[in-house]
Amino acid sequence: MKLFNMKVLQKYTLIAVLFVMAAACKKDKESIDTEKPTIAIDSDTAFPKQCSTIKRGTSFTFRSTLADNVALGSYSIDVHHNFDHHSHSTEIGECTVEAIKTPIKPFVLVKTVNIPGQPQQYNAELQIDVPADIDPGNYHFMIQVTDLAGWSTQKGISIRILE
Amino acid sequence: MFLPCYGQEKSIQLEEVKVGGRRYQRAAEGILSIDILNADSIQKYQAGSLMQTLSRLPGVNAIGIGPNLSKPQIRGLGFNRVATVENGIKHEGQQWGLDHGLEIDQFSVGSAEVLKGASSFLYGSDAIGGVIRLLPPTELREDGFKGNFNVLTKSNNATYGGSFHAQGRKGHWVFGGGFTHLDYADYKVPTDTVYVYNYAVRLKDRHVRNTAGRETHFQLRSGYISDRFSSILYLSNYHTKLGFFANAHGLEPRGVDTALYDKSSRDIGFPSQTVNHLKLINRSFIDWDKHKLWIDLGYQKNYRQEYNNYTAHGYMPPVYPQDMTVPIYLERLYDKQIYSMTLKDQFSLAKHRLTIGANGDYQDNRIDGWSFLIPSYRQKAMGLFAYDQYLLDDRTTLYGALRYDYSHIHTSSYQDWFDSQLEGNQTARIVRASELSRRFNSLVWSIGAGRQFGSVETKINLGKSFRAPIAQELAANGVNYHYFSYEKGNGSLSPEQSYQLDLSLTWSAKKASAALTPFFNYFANYIYLNPTSRYDQYYGAGNQIFEYTESRVRRYGAELKVSYQPLKQWKVELLGEYVRSEQLSGAKKGYTLPFSPAPSILMDLSWAAKNSKHFKDTYLSIDCKWTAAQYHVVPPEEFTPAYQVFNFRTGTQVNFAKSAIQLRLQIQNLFDKKYMDHTSFYRLIALPEQGRNFILSIGVPFG
Repeated sequence: MKLFNMKVLQKYTLIAVLFVMAAACKKDKESIDTEKPTIAIDSDTAFPKQCSTIKRGTSFTFRSTLADNVALGSYSIDVHHNFDHHSHSTEIGECTVEAIKTPIKPFVLVKTVNIPGQPQQYNAELQIDVPADIDPGNYHFMIQVTDLAGWSTQKGISIRILE
Repeated sequence: MFLPCYGQEKSIQLEEVKVGGRRYQRAAEGILSIDILNADSIQKYQAGSLMQTLSRLPGVNAIGIGPNLSKPQIRGLGFNRVATVENGIKHEGQQWGLDHGLEIDQFSVGSAEVLKGASSFLYGSDAIGGVIRLLPPTELREDGFKGNFNVLTKSNNATYGGSFHAQGRKGHWVFGGGFTHLDYADYKVPTDTVYVYNYAVRLKDRHVRNTAGRETHFQLRSGYISDRFSSILYLSNYHTKLGFFANAHGLEPRGVDTALYDKSSRDIGFPSQTVNHLKLINRSFIDWDKHKLWIDLGYQKNYRQEYNNYTAHGYMPPVYPQDMTVPIYLERLYDKQIYSMTLKDQFSLAKHRLTIGANGDYQDNRIDGWSFLIPSYRQKAMGLFAYDQYLLDDRTTLYGALRYDYSHIHTSSYQDWFDSQLEGNQTARIVRASELSRRFNSLVWSIGAGRQFGSVETKINLGKSFRAPIAQELAANGVNYHYFSYEKGNGSLSPEQSYQLDLSLTWSAKKASAALTPFFNYFANYIYLNPTSRYDQYYGAGNQIFEYTESRVRRYGAELKVSYQPLKQWKVELLGEYVRSEQLSGAKKGYTLPFSPAPSILMDLSWAAKNSKHFKDTYLSIDCKWTAAQYHVVPPEEFTPAYQVFNFRTGTQVNFAKSAIQLRLQIQNLFDKKYMDHTSFYRLIALPEQGRNFILSIGVPFG
């Protein structure tokens, strides 16, 4: 009787071990993308940079090199005021900060762009018109980019809009 | 077999982690793998929240945000895929929410059971990944009155608190109650600077800014108990006010007025939340002829307010309009009321032990606040079930279960309170959610067998589970600015269907025991929030679109528990867990599921002293948990490095003036290790877990 039990026990243990191993040792067939895209704002042509200033009533061109190890998806630009000093840039370096003030007609810009052709690198260029009647002051210029897998990277830049 | 819901009164010193198969050998859940922690062990391993305490059990993890707020995760499934059942009634909060924590006072729990495996056949939707079942303290068997005071302090977040519990019995009448109050400051981490993206956030004295909290809970119960009939009424209220890390609530780095926030580590600024959970339950049992009947009735009200400074994101007006009826600091409000009922009848028919039953619930969810994620909704659900246990012979039991569920959800429409800019310079108040009405039907089953081979108990179970889609998955259409995401529900989702095979092998001898519980699970349509490569300019205010989609998922894993007592006073315990999930279809084919716990092994060495005249149940224990790195991630998660954490525990009962004072000391994270937990929300912003923490508690019994 005892012997029988041992045999059954061994059999069951073996089945259990095989079951776990068969499940655990399955090779990942295809490699998946685990890398985020990047936003380069350090090159000479990139604009705006941390602490850049822009005059209201003028236009400027956003320029940045976006890259990914596989394929880029889209990018998005968001400009919002930072008159209450609540938004933080992701960049190192403090800029001139004006006193806290209540917004009256702050500049708001939301712009999304699908990057065509799923490239690995893309030189983003976007003309942005800053109306003449918006509040000058500290602003936050936010860039987001995705890759095809859905990874995303954000960069927040502190800028100032001058009169 | 009278009221199997009652825990064993005996306190167990060195057997905290038990496999509860035998306790439920003659109940439907006997086929599942059940881990039990009694009140004594919950106190012994006490962490910041109930789920963090339970996460010591293999296969159980806590999805947390800070040390005092967490929700259950079983074998990598969490949120609405794990049901928490207290006194027979499913606990309902805002389980889907990112910063929701389980609203249960860990000092009130008599015993906690973790049912791993597909448990839909027992509790319906949401139990697809498992169940956390909480039971009240055992009622006294004889007339009397007794209780205890417990005071505690924790060094890391300067917690001061205490609880008081009392219970009594006179004849057939029983009563009891408890009260807990905790007050804690900002918790400390072993780092001076946290890097939210590249932005360096300096922490004052290593305090995680604005994570202080206060909790006040009470429970009352009263009822009648006899052999043939019992009926007990449970009333409880859970109340907490808790702050969140001020520099990043979500992924977005925030500048704060450090002078204001760092003035005191005990004040609670924004962001913060207050949650109140009221619960009224009646449990009745009738032994009527050959039938055993259970009737559980429940009412719950979950009231949750999320506070934050008004920040104009996207197209929101720069200044909060004065004519708004929503208070300026009320970012979100969720007000939920749930009525539930369960009926169960157990009887024997030849060699069959049959249980038939039904349950139903109705819930009403209302929202408020200036931020929108999910609409208001109403939901009705009902289930009919039957279980059968067939005693094949002395050592073999066969199990079978069948369950049918029907649910109906009706979501309300919601329109923004502000204008958004649309194409061609037009503006409009966006309709975020339109009215939606969906009905779901599910038929699930489970078959299994348990057999004893000498000292080895084996179980095998195959079951189908389901989960009906929730309001968020069907009708979300809001921007979660804290996470840069625009979450889009999908009104055409169907109920999740999952098939699971569970094995359980337990061996026990005089000095040692071992349990291995492997499982294999396949989801035909796992509902998943997929981060796409697109942004939405108008509805999503420029944020990344996260869409609810369905994908096929394969999961497998195992837990291992070994305990060995080489000498009478020494014990070694080994607890291991492994789970691997893989999406087999859809946009994230090949990726894992979010919040996949990394494999871990915990080794514990305990020493128990011989009882002496003055000291009783003295113990010393040290445990080390090795957690492997987690490289299986899915956007937007990051790799989490491996780590090891040591915990030290000691305690004794001192005989003093006829009573035994219980003293306990724990040192959690003994070496102040800086590490990140992959299932913590603060992992996303690379915030380390709590540093070294001394926990001292003194319990004084009376009566």
